[in-house]
Amino acid sequence: MLKFLPLVLKNAFRKKTRTLLTVGSIVLPLLVICLLGTFLRALDRPDPGATRGMFRLVTRHKVSLANFLPHAYLDKVRQLPGVVAATELDWFGGKYGDGGVKTIFSRFAVEPEAFFQVFDDAAILAGSKTDWYADRAGCIVGDNLAAKLGLKVGDKVVLRGDIWPVTLELNVRAIYQIPDGSGASLHFNRKYLEEASPRFGSTLGMIWTKAKDARAATSLIDTIDRMFENSSYPTKTETEKAFQMSFMSLVGNVKMLVTSIGIIIIFVILLIAANTMAMAARERVTEIAVMRTLGFSKGAILEMILLESVLVAVLGGLLGVAVFMVIEPTIKRGLMTTPLGTFAAGFSLYPGILLFAFLVTVGIGLVAGVVPAVRSSQRSIVDGLREVA
Amino acid sequence: MSSASPAPPGTTLIRIDSLVKQYTRDTQVLTVLDNLSLSVDEGDFVALMGPSGSGKTTLLNLIAGIDRPTSGTILVGDKQVSAMSEAALAKWRSANVGFIFQLYNLVPVLTAFENVELPLLLTSLNRARRRKQAELALSVVGLADRMDHYPRQLSGGQEQRVAIARAIATDPKLLVADEPTGDLDSKAGEEILVLMERLNAEFKKTIVMVTHDPKAASRAHRLVHLDKGVLKEDVHAERGKAVGMAAAVSASST
Repeated sequence: MLKFLPLVLKNAFRKKTRTLLTVGSIVLPLLVICLLGTFLRALDRPDPGATRGMFRLVTRHKVSLANFLPHAYLDKVRQLPGVVAATELDWFGGKYGDGGVKTIFSRFAVEPEAFFQVFDDAAILAGSKTDWYADRAGCIVGDNLAAKLGLKVGDKVVLRGDIWPVTLELNVRAIYQIPDGSGASLHFNRKYLEEASPRFGSTLGMIWTKAKDARAATSLIDTIDRMFENSSYPTKTETEKAFQMSFMSLVGNVKMLVTSIGIIIIFVILLIAANTMAMAARERVTEIAVMRTLGFSKGAILEMILLESVLVAVLGGLLGVAVFMVIEPTIKRGLMTTPLGTFAAGFSLYPGILLFAFLVTVGIGLVAGVVPAVRSSQRSIVDGLREVA
Repeated sequence: MSSASPAPPGTTLIRIDSLVKQYTRDTQVLTVLDNLSLSVDEGDFVALMGPSGSGKTTLLNLIAGIDRPTSGTILVGDKQVSAMSEAALAKWRSANVGFIFQLYNLVPVLTAFENVELPLLLTSLNRARRRKQAELALSVVGLADRMDHYPRQLSGGQEQRVAIARAIATDPKLLVADEPTGDLDSKAGEEILVLMERLNAEFKKTIVMVTHDPKAASRAHRLVHLDKGVLKEDVHAERGKAVGMAAAVSASST
């Protein structure tokens, strides 16, 4: 078969424009497949905190995130055995700048010291924790958000509230980074908000708890929820990852949606590749008949057409994977500054996904080539030769 | 290319016996060749003539093993072509038959050299031997200097010569040609006929050629005239007398 490779290559590039367009039609959808696969893998990545020995739990109102919990819950949780630290995270909402899409980011009121006890894997890149602790109107900003908004230590950030109808003038006291690189939020001192809006003081949105170890984390999930199950404010406690996943479930079965899109894309590439191969084989009916006249067997013709189809698909596959490897860091950087940053943090060049995408194209090449290959090899030589007349 | 010693006079290369070829179109059965028997000696140069639809090309295809008879037998050398399997036929063709088509049928993406090398890829020859053999075939047809040219860079006559080089590359005993000068001007056609005569005389190739052209047929040693699938005339001629004979056969077929 190797002897025929030069001929197969020449045939594959016989119509260069068509071949390049076919390769392009494989490359672009393949990029989407790589992206979707990476996204699915990012959703499935292990608990981001647990992998670094950080066993964080999130407790919220059982009904929804929009329901508040009594502030007294925080102290009760802190008293439980196995709890290293706990902090509240209260969604502030509001508007920053012109309130456009580019200014959307997460803003939370927290207890500064407790926040860094729970998120003690966060690193300060600029400014200091103590500056923040000392300034009631201070705030800290995630590195991605700071880069996106061009914020630096000493800058002012003005947030116009909506849930809490107050305007907060915050001073950037530190830029932080968390190990998975998803720092795209702003955190400020809850006392500043409490002063501006006293109603806020008696409630909280979420309690983030750092457990001593995995075992403690598991038992705390039950313990916390049991503790409040008969109250007017029942809770739901889950791991950090489960909490993040619950956001995605708000838009339905994301995995199924993404998988369905992937399957449709694969099918579309298959149709395009099959059409190209069918055209290529149809144009060569006489030529194939001549080759069979010369003594090329049906099997050899079948193999050559299949190989040609696979070659074009593999070329598209390799290019697609290579392009994705080049653009993946850019896509990740872009997403990190959006509310999807938590998921984008799980973006990486997963060898399994790249291999899968590549194998999909090989499969597409094979399937797309089967019908034209079988037809060409089975056509009678005499009929093929007559096509010329 | 072996300019082998001539076969003993009268050695039969092709023996066709009671050959019938029918096609079925819808419910209608068309008999293209009807109980035809013929034999061709090794080293002979036979022209198959006859009006359109007389079965010339069908007979050529059957001899060359690219079509199957409805009944009857075809023996080429010691092989009963009509009874061979598809795979065995392919192998047999690659070693024993060279094809020359009216429209040359070169592979456009291959150079002259690569086109001639094509049938050699099916042999066990290594690359160097294939190269030598293809170069030799191209030099026989006088195109050693056009090896790297693509078909589109050659004239019709040159393309046909490359096609002849491809046909003789594996050094087959039998050459079958279907209107080899049909698409050429008279000068180029003449050159091709001279080349075929040379292949027959010098390299001892047995040639069976379908033609409408009395001038082309006049190069043959023997004229077989078909009409409606039946052998009408089978004339052996001394060279030089063939022109008149071919003209007569041609006239009788119109």
